[in-house]
Amino acid sequence: MSSNTRPRLRAVTLRSLGGSQLAIALAAIIALFVFGEIISPGFLSFGHLMSVLRLSVFLGIVALGQSLVVMAGGEGIDLSVGSVLSLGVCISSSLLLGKDANIPAALLGTLAAGFGIGMVNGAGISYIGIPPLIMTLAMASVVEGLSLIYTGGYPKGSSPPFLEALGNGRTVGIPNILLLWVVIIVGVTIILFRQRWGAVLFGVGANSVTAELSGINVKRFRMFVYGVSGSIAGLAGFFVLGYTGTPYLNLGAPYLMTSIAAVAIGGVSLAGGSGSYLGAAIGCVLLTTLSSILVALRTTEAVRQIVYGGLVFVIVVAYTRRRRD
Amino acid sequence: MKIRRVLQDPSFPSLLMLILLVVVNAIIQPEFFSFQVFRMNCMTFAPLILASLAQATVILVGAVDLSLGAGISLLTVVMASLMKDSAASIIGVTALGVCLALFLSLFNGFFFGYFGPPPLIMTFATSTMWFGISLLIMPTPGGYIPATYYGIYSKTVGGFLPVPVIVLLVAIAFCLLLGRLKAFRHLYAVGGSERAALASGINVASIKIFAFLISGVFTALAALCVVGQTATGDARSGQGFTLNSVAAAVIGGISFSGGKGNYAGAIFGGIILGLLTNIIYFANITSFYQEFMKGVIIIVALLFGALPRLRRALLPSREVVR
Repeated sequence: MSSNTRPRLRAVTLRSLGGSQLAIALAAIIALFVFGEIISPGFLSFGHLMSVLRLSVFLGIVALGQSLVVMAGGEGIDLSVGSVLSLGVCISSSLLLGKDANIPAALLGTLAAGFGIGMVNGAGISYIGIPPLIMTLAMASVVEGLSLIYTGGYPKGSSPPFLEALGNGRTVGIPNILLLWVVIIVGVTIILFRQRWGAVLFGVGANSVTAELSGINVKRFRMFVYGVSGSIAGLAGFFVLGYTGTPYLNLGAPYLMTSIAAVAIGGVSLAGGSGSYLGAAIGCVLLTTLSSILVALRTTEAVRQIVYGGLVFVIVVAYTRRRRD
Repeated sequence: MKIRRVLQDPSFPSLLMLILLVVVNAIIQPEFFSFQVFRMNCMTFAPLILASLAQATVILVGAVDLSLGAGISLLTVVMASLMKDSAASIIGVTALGVCLALFLSLFNGFFFGYFGPPPLIMTFATSTMWFGISLLIMPTPGGYIPATYYGIYSKTVGGFLPVPVIVLLVAIAFCLLLGRLKAFRHLYAVGGSERAALASGINVASIKIFAFLISGVFTALAALCVVGQTATGDARSGQGFTLNSVAAAVIGGISFSGGKGNYAGAIFGGIILGLLTNIIYFANITSFYQEFMKGVIIIVALLFGALPRLRRALLPSREVVR
């Protein structure tokens, strides 16, 4: 990257954050909560609202890496986030062993493992030209195997008090992890809109040829974005451990496709180069509210799958139609 | 020059890989070329080869179908819960299964064709729905498949032609027939550049639906084979086919951006994955490593498929000479 190119920074406005699409998603969340209150009184209470938001955070962290990869364009998508999250849970619990003093080592180990996996994804995609969908899907298989090999089938360790307080504790009624998420959303929005790195990300996603001509090493940049997505997925595993307390295999599986759906619902174009993390975050809350409603309705797994799939289907089809008009 | 055409065919690298794997497999499994092993291999490979053909059709038009595996599961569940011993029931339920497969792919094709949502998310959503419906019909694997049905699948006609081979030959004949259709050439045009296809007067939406419909024919054949092989209905039996079919198509040289590649590549890709699974099995790898190896193998296979592209990148002058 040459230093004389000046990236175009975007203003943080309602429009650039997602505009009407965000308004629709927010309206949908409110409608779902009202509907929830009707079928199960107490759904709209502050306590329940907070617990839905808290559950959204874990999905939201996974969706952060997913958004970056999608924004970087080139049909970017990361289907390995679920299994990297699972591996993150196993690695961090085995390094933590229930002791607060081990947190730095566990954090570092988890981030490094995720970053390494992501970089392999990125190298295969950028330099060998394997389609992202298939590269990351195959990597998901590899990482799932790595979790099994690493743990021998039985993940050991547990989360220490500090991490448990972060994942489950509340400050003045607000879950601690939710406060952390708000900080992350603000920080990421600043990086994406007001920092050079964000401008480069949108530039690469919108038009890789122009980006290359203005001195950006597009291949290396995209590889790095996959590395970042991997380490964020690992980090999500670290936090999920704080929520569950003890590690299990395959905790990440439910997060994979939901993270992609959340990103799309949040107005991040799957073609890359546009969108905001705030949008994806609202998408996460919408999807988590939806599954919470389905639980409140005491539906069976089968009905939950049908309704969940059906709604994602309707949302995706409706959004595309609107964008065309 | 015919040889040059073969060498430049997008499926050529996968053919080389296929030959290499046949050699490796023959070395570690001495009876590889015996008729019994051939028959068994055909029985296990046929569903994946057919699923790869289905996926390849959809990839050629510029989409991807993540609901393929869940669709196969749904078909096994429906067939296993309805089929009875009588010949009329077997034929009727089989026909119903084929119709259902066509309906599922038409559903995907219709919304993809007319509304144009990102196929990845749209088919993920339908995949979730098909899985839910399968679970609703059959929460645990079971159902009943008459012995006559699965007996046919393991039969050998005339002492030299196993039934799965006949199914594959029918599929290949269907591929050849498709190649003669104008709509099939339009399918490549739409996959290559939707805008150009639109500008030259092609009805893009109906070509997309046509592609999904063809893929439905292959999916139906794949599901019929899976039922013949497993003789049960299982809401999860099709799961593996989604990743494997996409991988097989890409290994077979079918471009993910659409419009490039051919059915020969999809068939080679399917056989390659089958042979690789065989090799893992014979290498006696413990179950802990199997998932890991499966992923590694797909990545290695993709690397192999990417070799010509790498060579072109390193030696740009070659391209000019051509």
